[in-house]
Amino acid sequence: MGLLDKLSGLLGLKKKEVHVLCLGLDNSGKTTIINKLKPSNAQTQDIVPTIGFSIEKFKTSSLAFTVFDMSGQGRYRNLWEHYYKEGQAIIFVIDSSDRLRMVVAKEELDILLNHPDIKHRRIPILFFANKMDLRDAVTSVKVSQLLSLENIKDKPWHICASDAIKGEGLQEGVDWLQDQIQAVKT
Amino acid sequence: MRPLSGVMENKMAASGDSAGCRPNSTEANSKWLDAHYDPMANIHTFSACLALADLHGDGEYKLVVGDLGANGRHPRLKVLKGPSVLTESPLPTLPSAAAAFLMEPHEPRTPALALASGPCVYVYKNLRPYFKFSLPPLPPNPLEQDLWNQAKERSYWGAWQGFGCASRRSRGDSSWPWPSSGGDSRKEEKAFTSWGKQGLWSKQDRIDPLTLKEMLEGIREKAEVPLSVQSLRFLHLELGEMEAFVAQHKNQPIKRQTVITAMTILKKNLADEDAVSCLVLGTENRELLVLDPEAFTVLTKMSLPSVPVFLEVSGQFDVEFWLTAACRDGNIYILRRDSKRPRYCIELSSQPVGLVRIHKTLVVGSTQDMLHSFTHKGKKLWTVPMPAPILTMSLLEQRSRGLQAVMAGLANGEMRIYRDKALLNIIRTPDAVTSICFGRYGREDNTLIMTTRGGGLVIKILKRTAVFGEGAGEAGPPPAQALRLNVPRKTRLYVDQTLREREAGTAMHRAFQMDLYLLRLRAARAYVQALESSLNPVSATLREPLKLHAVVQGLGPTFRLTLHLQNTSAVRPAIGLLVSFLYNESLYALPRAFFKVPMLVPGLSYPMETFVECLSDKGISDIIKVLVLREGQSAPLLSAHINMPVSEGLVAA
Ligand SMILES: Nc1nc2c(ncn2[C@@H]2O[C@H](COP(=O)(O)OP(=O)(O)O)[C@@H](O)[C@H]2O)c(=O)[nH]1
Ligand SMILES: [Mg+2]
Repeated sequence: MGLLDKLSGLLGLKKKEVHVLCLGLDNSGKTTIINKLKPSNAQTQDIVPTIGFSIEKFKTSSLAFTVFDMSGQGRYRNLWEHYYKEGQAIIFVIDSSDRLRMVVAKEELDILLNHPDIKHRRIPILFFANKMDLRDAVTSVKVSQLLSLENIKDKPWHICASDAIKGEGLQEGVDWLQDQIQAVKT
Repeated sequence: MRPLSGVMENKMAASGDSAGCRPNSTEANSKWLDAHYDPMANIHTFSACLALADLHGDGEYKLVVGDLGANGRHPRLKVLKGPSVLTESPLPTLPSAAAAFLMEPHEPRTPALALASGPCVYVYKNLRPYFKFSLPPLPPNPLEQDLWNQAKERSYWGAWQGFGCASRRSRGDSSWPWPSSGGDSRKEEKAFTSWGKQGLWSKQDRIDPLTLKEMLEGIREKAEVPLSVQSLRFLHLELGEMEAFVAQHKNQPIKRQTVITAMTILKKNLADEDAVSCLVLGTENRELLVLDPEAFTVLTKMSLPSVPVFLEVSGQFDVEFWLTAACRDGNIYILRRDSKRPRYCIELSSQPVGLVRIHKTLVVGSTQDMLHSFTHKGKKLWTVPMPAPILTMSLLEQRSRGLQAVMAGLANGEMRIYRDKALLNIIRTPDAVTSICFGRYGREDNTLIMTTRGGGLVIKILKRTAVFGEGAGEAGPPPAQALRLNVPRKTRLYVDQTLREREAGTAMHRAFQMDLYLLRLRAARAYVQALESSLNPVSATLREPLKLHAVVQGLGPTFRLTLHLQNTSAVRPAIGLLVSFLYNESLYALPRAFFKVPMLVPGLSYPMETFVECLSDKGISDIIKVLVLREGQSAPLLSAHINMPVSEGLVAA
């Protein structure tokens, strides 16, 4: 049974689909996280619209996930930014052991937060400081410092340390996200 | 990310560019993300000793550093992962170059690492020692060998005595886990026994270390064949250490080997990004060697007129290739596959400090603080001056945008990026940069790694949204250069003229020069005459520098004539001047033809007005001469001729 059962069950009552964007740099652990969250009966569609840019999508009865790597250069940007509009919640995954690319993750986050389709919406953001099991990993507190999360004033956000391979920390995050979506819905 | 990176940012912002419009790297508009800065990284190296490669085949690119060590002591091989050192091991001698290359076409396609140091290339696979290639030995000086042979015998007893201290130093090669390059040690053995058989030394001619030293120094001075490293090291020793050294080397025939000065890689037979590649070595012996990627045999050898210090290659070994070697004689030699000697030679007027190839053009930095560009056939394209000495150079290749540019680290702490002549970007570093490297590092494609003179490490990542524009740069071709010139077509006349010019060039030049001299002579004569008769409106005497300027207004018959008189001396006022008009009295009438000038204060222009009545109604005009005189002198200080206009008033009436 997937971790999302409770979340999707709750939302299922409303018979309305919630779109979740799962973003982050390549290799941060998005696919691993999503696979852990996915109920076993979920239907998966992988689509590859352009070279150099791939999106994973899957749906449960009430949740639609769109996952993509925020890698590559400007020219694929408008392709993924196209999905921002329909996103109602964001999961942002960070590889806490990749110290060098922390600045890149911050840069991508800043661009995301300043995007016209995101900027003025009170959309909840869940951060996974992933790969916390690795020796080089920094703490989630340090990650939120490095990404200057304290500057996000107009959106609810939360950061959890996670180990996507063992599935640790994911439940805490999903619980938080659930509360947020519920708060918006009611 | 250490807190230190904040310090750097502040520094950089403070030293921000004053010239505003230039492409700089201050916080706000920077194209770079500051990923890491460690001023105490203790990495001392230059660009040739840096290489980026996916050494473990896990998609995480590592940085290989041939580190000279502080002050060139304790050379080390370091491998960095992200901001920190993953492994390090000592090197026997200073490294001269590092490169990653694919040895064989089979999976897994993880590149091997080659590190050139002294006469050897150490090859590692998966960061484990794999092979040690040594340059083929050179024939030793027989005299030198003879001396060592004679020294040996005597040292037998001392050998045991000094062994304790000798063995500490003898660590050298034997402690190295290197599979050595086979055959030659056996050959050496043979050479050694043959010396013995020939009986070139006998127990009677024994040489003590001091004599040996003297005699070796004698050979060194003559230096037809340079001394071996063994002898050179011996000459450096203190008296007490000599005995032990001789004892330690008693069983080794002297070897003379050259050292590697530069190394690069050349694709074997495919142009692919990840094709199997050969190592190309430049040696102190003025040779270029190309090695087989798997067997490490010498595939080809080329000789150069000087010692190569920077190498650039293009093409494939089996098909066609170009080798470019910047050498210590200040020349750049270009060789091709079929040439054993250089095909082209570019003469720099100074020493090269860096060489980068972009497609078919070469960019060379020189000790005259210049970047020069040449075609691969040696034709000069352009030169750009740098504001400070160039310390190092490297290639910036941004594949996603098809950008190739040259990076140059300068002594003033700037790192400049040029595409052709155009300055794209300046990065200010807290310390002068001595090595630069750009490429995929970790998992980020466009990473810039720099090490500084003080041993610091700077890592920056090019923003994914960054685009280098030329517009911002100060350099670049002026817009006029893009205009098409209206060059006349090659008419018959044009061709004839050109032919004539080609044939009679000298005569035409002479005729022109002759006319020019005549013209100058005339001008000079006229000037002298004008000076002599003070006919000019500017007074030439040093004591009375004056300037006169006249304006005539009106249509006639009455004109207004205004004289502007100015004392151009710096401090001295002009007193006692007179103005007099000379004119045809039948044509013009002036109320006062002669008057006194008030005192002229230096610098001010004094207007003096008078009316001029034209008496003729025939529509003719004449000149009026104005003379400025000094009281009591007959020669005027200056004079002016005023061409009076025709009196229109009268004509019309
Ligand atoms: N040690 C560790 N490895 C992880 C963790 N999460 C993901 N990985 C590994 O990181 C790599 C990239 O993960 P992936 O989910 O494909 O990243 P994506 O590119 O963001 O989709 C894979 O080899 C995963 O096994 C984690 O929490 N700990
Ligand atoms: Mg993925």
